[in-house]
Amino acid sequence: MTALATVGGAALGDKLRALGAFDAETCMSCGICTATCPLGIDVLPRQLLRHAALGLEQRIRDEQEVVFSCLLCRACEQSCPAGVHIAQDIRLLRRWLLEQGGE
Amino acid sequence: MSERRIGVYVCQCGGNISDYVDVEQVVGAVANDPGVVVARTAMFTCSDATQQEIEADIREQQLDGLVVASCSPKLHTFTFREAARRAGLNPYEYTQVNIREQCSWTHTDDRTGATRKAMQLVRAGIARTRLTEPLEPTAVQTTPSALVIGGGVAGMRAAIGLADLGLGVFLVEREARLCGHTGELGELFPNAGTGSGLVARLLEQIRERPQIAVFTSAEVTAKSGTYGNYRAVIRAGEESIHAEIGQIIVATGFDSYEPAAGEYGYGIQGVLTLPEFRRMLDSREDLIVGGRKPESIAYVYCVGSRCEEHPYCSRFCCSAAVHASLLASDRVAGVRQYHLYRDMRTYGRNELMLSESRERGSLYLKFADGDPPEVTHDGQRLSVTVRDQLTGGDELTIPADLVVLVTGMVPQANDRLVKTLKLPVGGDGFFNEIHPKLRPVETVVDGVLIAGACQGPKTVAESVTSGLAAVSQTAAVLKRGVAELDPQIATVHASACSGCGACVEACPFGAISMIARDGGEVAQIDRAGCKGCGACAPVCGEDAIDLLGYTDGQVRAMIDALIQIPPTHPHLP
Repeated sequence: MTALATVGGAALGDKLRALGAFDAETCMSCGICTATCPLGIDVLPRQLLRHAALGLEQRIRDEQEVVFSCLLCRACEQSCPAGVHIAQDIRLLRRWLLEQGGE
Repeated sequence: MSERRIGVYVCQCGGNISDYVDVEQVVGAVANDPGVVVARTAMFTCSDATQQEIEADIREQQLDGLVVASCSPKLHTFTFREAARRAGLNPYEYTQVNIREQCSWTHTDDRTGATRKAMQLVRAGIARTRLTEPLEPTAVQTTPSALVIGGGVAGMRAAIGLADLGLGVFLVEREARLCGHTGELGELFPNAGTGSGLVARLLEQIRERPQIAVFTSAEVTAKSGTYGNYRAVIRAGEESIHAEIGQIIVATGFDSYEPAAGEYGYGIQGVLTLPEFRRMLDSREDLIVGGRKPESIAYVYCVGSRCEEHPYCSRFCCSAAVHASLLASDRVAGVRQYHLYRDMRTYGRNELMLSESRERGSLYLKFADGDPPEVTHDGQRLSVTVRDQLTGGDELTIPADLVVLVTGMVPQANDRLVKTLKLPVGGDGFFNEIHPKLRPVETVVDGVLIAGACQGPKTVAESVTSGLAAVSQTAAVLKRGVAELDPQIATVHASACSGCGACVEACPFGAISMIARDGGEVAQIDRAGCKGCGACAPVCGEDAIDLLGYTDGQVRAMIDALIQIPPTHPHLP
């Protein structure tokens, strides 16, 4: 309950959409993706997508190791009831992180 | 001893009764009671086969009285009344005795006691039946017109439906015009069309039907009369109209919940209720807040709903808010929208709107019951702080140009009408039907039906559906032209009546009046007005009033039978 983040400002979603088809907002937080993820990392993929959808940029930067450890296997996409393009979203996050690092 | 010919059937209820009550002993105990010519047990008395046996007995043994000892009269009184009727026996010569709920189910620890009690109850039922008389329902002519109170979609559609069935209609609206909440709405969901368009169509259809008399700025101030024939007073300004009607449909609608000052920041510039937001969207083509297009809108759901004061869910508001957010997306490209909810209930086809809103970028944040978001204004900007359960309970602050409080439906304050019509009001403040599934538009008040959101939160489609259901229930009574009323009502033995008038005071239905007779006055029962409640019988000092079916003589005979000690039996202590 302590972490305070601000949603808004320059929207992360809009920045990512400038890079490609980002659709994490379609996620309904059911968690089937996390259940099917072979890596078993706590933050993957539900929470990561949630942080991305809400535009919690610092969170994403803190979680970049997780972003890059994803295998892009798409096991999660197979069972996603909302049809979120999770692998594509993670690719876009990687690109955004890399571009950030380059600045 | 008795000239009656009574058949007695003691039911086993497939073990429900016979596991704890020795039904053979019960039959044995009463078989020789005066007037009993047939006494037997049955596995399931209500089965078609046993009903046919009963009918055969009635015909062959010329039975003139029938007793079935089985379950609650609530379950099967009408079943066996009908069996009697089919065999040519007046249905009111039938008595049901309850030895299941009152004996076997209640005394599973005492078979002997349960059996003894069953004997007493059956004997009392036989005693009552020895004194039954054939009764015939009272037939009353009905008035072929109806009063519809409330000129919203439910009331308007009902009025049109009644007129199309050839019934006269008095349509009364408290406001200055027929419109309701729907008429003030722009685009509706789940399919296209506007609320104002729908209402305009209904108004045109009403104008085309001269048999609908419309009264606006008017109220119903009095109701009198009896089943199928009521008189209502409609007060319109200085004028009073007396309407002769057969039925009344109440379709008075709802109020929108009005948050208290300060509730979720209500009162701060930019904090609106959902209806206020809809008016903003519906009144112009674009969406401008504080002179510019909003960048961010936050919706707080369940405001005034599912709380102590209003514990129910209004059901429509989740969908209505999602729909409004889609309208806002159409007006302002790229507007960011945050939905702060407890549970999303966009049921049925409305679920598609929820998916669409997500695809268009709306974000949904879930707050816990008892941990509502806070709306604040720091002098610069509005913001909403929420602990989002889907982000592990993190506290998030959302800057917003507009905060929409998603409010639900609350009952209308209609005290005067409630009093005039004696409307049944439920714990939630809405009007109550008799049975939520099987009799959804009828009330316990004869001749008064309810339709639309006065019964509880409803969508436009649901309001119209219930309005039309009320039409069919009205037509079921009024199109026959004649209604049959239960004959189990009070009757006055005029020769014994002293004319004291105590019964007139006691009658809750105003169904007793005093008439001149032999130089004095005696009480007279209005057969259509009497409901058979029995309030008059005990206040009569002369025992001059009997309730048909429950006469003093019958009740005394039942008590006498109950206090007889059951005959000794080798198996009884």
